Amino acid sequence: MVFDSLDPRINRLNLHLQRQEEYKSVSLDQLPTYEVFLQLKPDKEYQHAGIVHAATPDTAFLFAKEQFSRRYTCTGMWVVSSSCVWVTQCMELEESIYDHLPDDLHETKESMSAYDIFHLYQRGKQHKHAGKLMASGHGDAVIRAKQQLDQGKPVLNIWSVKTSDVRTTGKEDLEIWSTLPQKSHREVISYRAGEKLKLFKEKKHGPPAK
Amino acid sequence: MYGGGNIFEASRFDNLAQEDPEKLAEFEARIARGEKIEPSDWMPALYRKQLIRMIEQHAHSEIIGALPEGTWITRAPGFQRKMALMAKVQDEVGHAQLLYSAAETLGKPREQMMQDLINGRSKYSNIFNYPAFTWADSTIISWLVDAGAIVNQLANSKGSYGPYCRALERICAEESFHLKYGHHAVIHLATGTKIQREMVQEALNRWWPPMMHFFGPPDKVSVHTEVLTKWKVKMATNDECRQQFLDMYVPKIWELELTIPDSNLKKNSQTRQWEYSEPDWEEFKRVINGDGPCNKERLAVRRTAEERGRWVREALLTPEAKYVTPLA
Ligand SMILES: [Fe+2]
Ligand SMILES: [Fe+2]
Repeated sequence: MVFDSLDPRINRLNLHLQRQEEYKSVSLDQLPTYEVFLQLKPDKEYQHAGIVHAATPDTAFLFAKEQFSRRYTCTGMWVVSSSCVWVTQCMELEESIYDHLPDDLHETKESMSAYDIFHLYQRGKQHKHAGKLMASGHGDAVIRAKQQLDQGKPVLNIWSVKTSDVRTTGKEDLEIWSTLPQKSHREVISYRAGEKLKLFKEKKHGPPAK
Repeated sequence: MYGGGNIFEASRFDNLAQEDPEKLAEFEARIARGEKIEPSDWMPALYRKQLIRMIEQHAHSEIIGALPEGTWITRAPGFQRKMALMAKVQDEVGHAQLLYSAAETLGKPREQMMQDLINGRSKYSNIFNYPAFTWADSTIISWLVDAGAIVNQLANSKGSYGPYCRALERICAEESFHLKYGHHAVIHLATGTKIQREMVQEALNRWWPPMMHFFGPPDKVSVHTEVLTKWKVKMATNDECRQQFLDMYVPKIWELELTIPDSNLKKNSQTRQWEYSEPDWEEFKRVINGDGPCNKERLAVRRTAEERGRWVREALLTPEAKYVTPLA
C-alpha cells in the first residue's frame, strides 16, 4: 500500500524517514525521578501514587498533578526525589520489619530534624504515610518509628524521608486543580448510547416482542 | 491500549539451574500464595528479563498508539469529540509513563527503553503500524483496539509483579472511558446516514485483519511458557484472549448491522469456540519486523520529539541531579 502520510507532523515538518544513524540517549536525558504521594481526602493519610520524571521538585509537582490527579482532584500532593527516600528490605507475609531491624541503625551526629515515615502493610498495595517524627538520621528515624508509630500490625517495608526534602502543597498551589472544573468528557457516564441503539434496532426489526 | 502476543516469541530458555534453589523455592511459594513480588525482593533473572521486556513493550505501545488517533484531534467532528479524543490521547501517554516507571523499578532506565524503541530493537503493538484514514478509523480504534487492550490488561493486572499490577489498576479504570467513548462514537456513525454507515463499515473492514493479529499467533507451549505461567507473568494464552474478545465484541458489531470481513467467522455451538479464517501471520511477521505501512513514520515522529525536546531538558537539569532506580 502506498500513500502519503496521514500524520500532519510528517508532512509539515518534512521528517526524514530513512535516517540511518543510531539514536543515542545520554544518561539523565529522561531526567531523574520523583516519588509522588497523594492525599485523597482531608482526613486521609498520604499514600504513594507512583513516580514522575522531572528536572526539579516544582516541575515534578506540576507533572504529578497532570499524571495522577487530572481526573479526580485530591486535597494534597507531595513529591520527593527518589534519591532522597531511604528504604528497608521487604518482609514476608505476617512478619514485621520492626521485629527485624538491622543492628547497624544507630544515631548519627546529625542534628535533630523532622522525618516522614511510610509503611507498606500489604504486598501489591501502596505505601501509606504513618507519621512524622524528630530524629537525627534515617536509621534513628526508623528506631523511633518502632516506638512511636508501630501499632502491632505487621509492616512489611518502611520508607523514611527527611521532611525538608518533600515538596508539599502550599495554599498558592491549590489553584492548579481548578483549571477545568467541567471534566465530564473524561467520564464513562457521558457516553451512554443505549437509547440510540434501541431506536436503531426498533426501526429495523420493530419493537421487541413482549 | 496494547496488544500482547509478540512478547513471548522465542527467547532462549535461561537455565534455572543457575538460580539459588532455596530462594527460587521461596519466590515460587510466594507467588503460589497469591502474594505480589515487590522491586526489592529477590527474583530469578528470567523473571526480571521477561517482565522488563513485556512492560516495556506495553509502554511503547501506549505512546506509539497515541499517534494514529492523535492525528485526528485537529479534525474531530465537533468540540465534544475533540475534548474526548484529547482526553483519551492524554490518558494513553499517561499510561506509557506509568508503565515505563514500572519497568524502571526492575532496573532498566527510561533512556535505554527510548533508545531501544527508536532504534527498532524493542517492539510495540503491531496494530499501530497501520494508518487511520478517516474519522471512522479513529472511532474503531477507540472502541475495538481499546477493547482488545482491556482484555489483555485485565488479565495482566492479576499477575505477580506489584508495580505492574498497580499501574494496570489505574490504567484499566481509564480504559473504561475509552471503550465507552469509542462505542458511543461508532454507534453514532452506524445509526447515522448512509454515508456515515459506509464510512464506519470501511474502517471496520480495514481494522479487522490487524485486530485478529492483535493478540498474537497461537502460543507454542514450551517449558518456557509453562514457567512464565507458573510465575504469573503470562496470564492467558493469545488464543484465550482472542476468543474472549470475539465473544464480547462480535455480537456488539453485529447488532449495529455491520458486517465483519470474514465469511468463516462463527461460533461453534458444540465447542463454544469462535471459528475464523486464520489471519495472515506472514504479514504479521513482516510488519512487526519493520515493513508495515507506518513503521518508519511512527518512529520518526517519536525520534523528532525526543531530539527537539532535548535542549529543554538539558536546560532544566541541575548539576546535582542523579539517577536512582524509582521505588515502586
Ligand atoms: Fe486506551
Ligand atoms: Fe492505554
